[in-house]
Amino acid sequence: MSTLTIKNISKQFPGTLALDDVSLTLKSGKVNALIGKNGSGKSTLIKIINGVQPPTSGDIFIDEDKISFANPEEAIQKGVSTVYQELSLVGGMTVADNIFLGRYPMNGKFIDWKKTYRETRELLEGMGIEIDAKEQINNLSMWQRQMIEIAKAMSTNPKVILLDEPTSSLSRSETQILFNLIRGLKTKDVIIIYISHRLQELWEIADTCSVLRDGRLVGSADMADLSRKDILSMMFGDMKTEKRPEDVKSTDEVVLKVEGLTSGKRFSDINFELKKGEILGIAGMLGSGRTELLRAIFGSDRYGSGKVFVNGSETKRATPFKMKELGLAMTSEDRKTEGLIQIMSIEGNLCVASLKRMSKGAFIDKAAESRMVAEQVENLEIKAPNLRSEVSSLSGGNQQKVVIGNWLNNKPTIMLFDEPSRGIDVNAKHQIFNIIWELSRQGVSSIVVSSEIEELLEICHRILIMRYGKFVDEVSDAATTVEHLYSMCMGENEDESPRADSADSADSADSADTLAGMR
Amino acid sequence: MEIHGLNRKTVNNIFRKYMMEIILVVMFIVLSIFAPGFLSSDNILGIFRNMAIVGVIAFGMTMVIINGEIDLSVGSAIGISAVATAIISRRLAESGFSDAFALIIAMLAAVAICSLIGMFNGFIRARFGIPTFIITLAMLNVLYGIAATWSAGFPVVINSGWYSFIGAGQFFKTESFQGIPAPMIWLIIVFFIIWIVMNKTRFGREVYAVGGNIEAARLSGINIAKVKIITMMAVQALAAFSGIMLSSQVMAGSSQFGRGYEMDVIASVIIGGTSLFGGVGRAWGTFIGILFLGVINNCMTLLGVDDYIKYIVKGSLILIAVLINTIQLQRKDA
Repeated sequence: MSTLTIKNISKQFPGTLALDDVSLTLKSGKVNALIGKNGSGKSTLIKIINGVQPPTSGDIFIDEDKISFANPEEAIQKGVSTVYQELSLVGGMTVADNIFLGRYPMNGKFIDWKKTYRETRELLEGMGIEIDAKEQINNLSMWQRQMIEIAKAMSTNPKVILLDEPTSSLSRSETQILFNLIRGLKTKDVIIIYISHRLQELWEIADTCSVLRDGRLVGSADMADLSRKDILSMMFGDMKTEKRPEDVKSTDEVVLKVEGLTSGKRFSDINFELKKGEILGIAGMLGSGRTELLRAIFGSDRYGSGKVFVNGSETKRATPFKMKELGLAMTSEDRKTEGLIQIMSIEGNLCVASLKRMSKGAFIDKAAESRMVAEQVENLEIKAPNLRSEVSSLSGGNQQKVVIGNWLNNKPTIMLFDEPSRGIDVNAKHQIFNIIWELSRQGVSSIVVSSEIEELLEICHRILIMRYGKFVDEVSDAATTVEHLYSMCMGENEDESPRADSADSADSADSADTLAGMR
Repeated sequence: MEIHGLNRKTVNNIFRKYMMEIILVVMFIVLSIFAPGFLSSDNILGIFRNMAIVGVIAFGMTMVIINGEIDLSVGSAIGISAVATAIISRRLAESGFSDAFALIIAMLAAVAICSLIGMFNGFIRARFGIPTFIITLAMLNVLYGIAATWSAGFPVVINSGWYSFIGAGQFFKTESFQGIPAPMIWLIIVFFIIWIVMNKTRFGREVYAVGGNIEAARLSGINIAKVKIITMMAVQALAAFSGIMLSSQVMAGSSQFGRGYEMDVIASVIIGGTSLFGGVGRAWGTFIGILFLGVINNCMTLLGVDDYIKYIVKGSLILIAVLINTIQLQRKDA
């Protein structure tokens, strides 16, 4: 048996103390859950354990040996493997290739393929994975890839394996298969650290649970001794949400109606109405289908079936170009690669969506352009020394404001915000909330998608909760607490018996689960 | 000290921004002194005349490359256009139309044919997402084959006195002045048109946006397919015009016209500072690139450099230009 000891670890970032004197002991043969909401410091702790960044102070020991790594590669060599939620497999190569990439068994100058395949087969069999070593990754489904990812991590015989939200993109039945694999790891002498946002999973898979909040370890105990309430109160503590100003009101006029919208496995049977001036929240964890839903409504992804009505008329074969004409706007969750043109100026980025509005015929009306740019810079309080410099020179918050300003220049009537507050500081966050409220006062409706649920409670009139691609509940802000919302999103429900549906196919299991959740 | 440092930085920036202009001026001065015959109005105007064929396409290519695409088939498009003009005008003349009418219709037809080719290239790109590098590499061969088959491999003669004016005429000719070559005038007109499109119009902005980040542009409600198709059409239409100029200089159309010209076109654009990664570039830069390449060609001719050596020099120039652009980009990121 081996032990991972984390001793007085602190991590200071400019402006924030991400980890504050965290000490923790984890043992092999157990699944050790590490949880905490966004910004609690759990990602930082993981990065310190697997060598992505060094701690400011404190030490880490495996058994008696003090460990420190210059980089993640060294960490892997010395026995700390990480399975990230974004898969890192090479699609066009085989399972065996992926497992032995960069360290193939050699026969002189040549790769010893026989040995490569034999060792891959042994590894997979040993873990009870029934996938052919010569299968191409592209032919595998998500959960199979996730298993290969874990097999790859185990192939280096690690002492510590970090599983970072391995189930976030899996359905219920697939999750069960993965859990069986993880349970199998417990018989090996490896310290398993399991990070998840799906609270209900913890009682199924984890043996111990450690909770971080605001950079501090608030508790660590055996799962058997913990109730749902214990964990929620450890995660959130006494939290207060701020209130939306009284004069931000919704009306009765329906501007957007979605009927039975379905897109394969991503989401299904989505129904809702959005009123003029209303701010509607969609709460859901990563992989719940929230981003996919927003993209489908905006026409940037195709959907299978269902209808979308804007101001009463149905939209057919929607594209962002058509939806823009109808008055919709969307800010992407990934502003760096989808929201902004990095090599363009701040000015230029504020005018991409609204080129038509600032043109006379084919020509750009320079006066209109500079007027509109100036308006957004002033109203959104975009802090930029020079509007001609590249947009990438701005801080995250100001970049997000440029993304929003780009759309506001087009005078939309419905704004879709995907994670508008991701990666920006508290001040900028509140400025963005104020923008959303101000839009509502002007009669612009908004849909806000976020995994930071306390934010939604603050901003929105109404919140729809999304889980496994379906709306499972609707709440209005007045009657709800953050804990309740989080537990709804994380799919935690005491009546549920997760094992019961594990034999069913993914989709039917999901719908059964949803019905149980609705009751 | 600080002021000195600031000055140095400003000087550095100016040098970096106008590097090609400065190099061009230095080259000009050096050649004026050392290359006999360089500094004469005949020679200078000749540079423009020679570069016009490549130059008009280069301005279209600037749009295409800023848009994040490329068109390798423009060389063959020159051939198609020249052959089309010659054959169509001859057929029309044979069926009783006047020479002038036949040629005008033939020229319009050549431009239309090449525009359709560009539309096809752009459509395949937009609809199926196949890189234009591959599409137009294939089309380079297909179009050459079509032109050669159509003309049965022989040059087709054009008989019309005034037609030669397009490629070989002069404006403002006096007794003491040989006149400005017509191709130079066309080159400058095309430069202004492309400059206005890229700097003053909505479409120009859309080209920059799509080339800068295609997904961000799409999510901003820009019609990506339209932008791609129009730019691919524009470069082909300009290649058709080049084919017309070339056939007018020779008074014949041949499928051999324009073979390998795509290299000079792309070289001018890249030397002019347009980024092969898309989103960055200027029509003015391409203008400088064209002159630069023209001056290099000219001085090699004046100095009697072997034709084969010219290939080595021009190929190396492309590589050096790309290297300089890339290194500057990396420095900026660091």
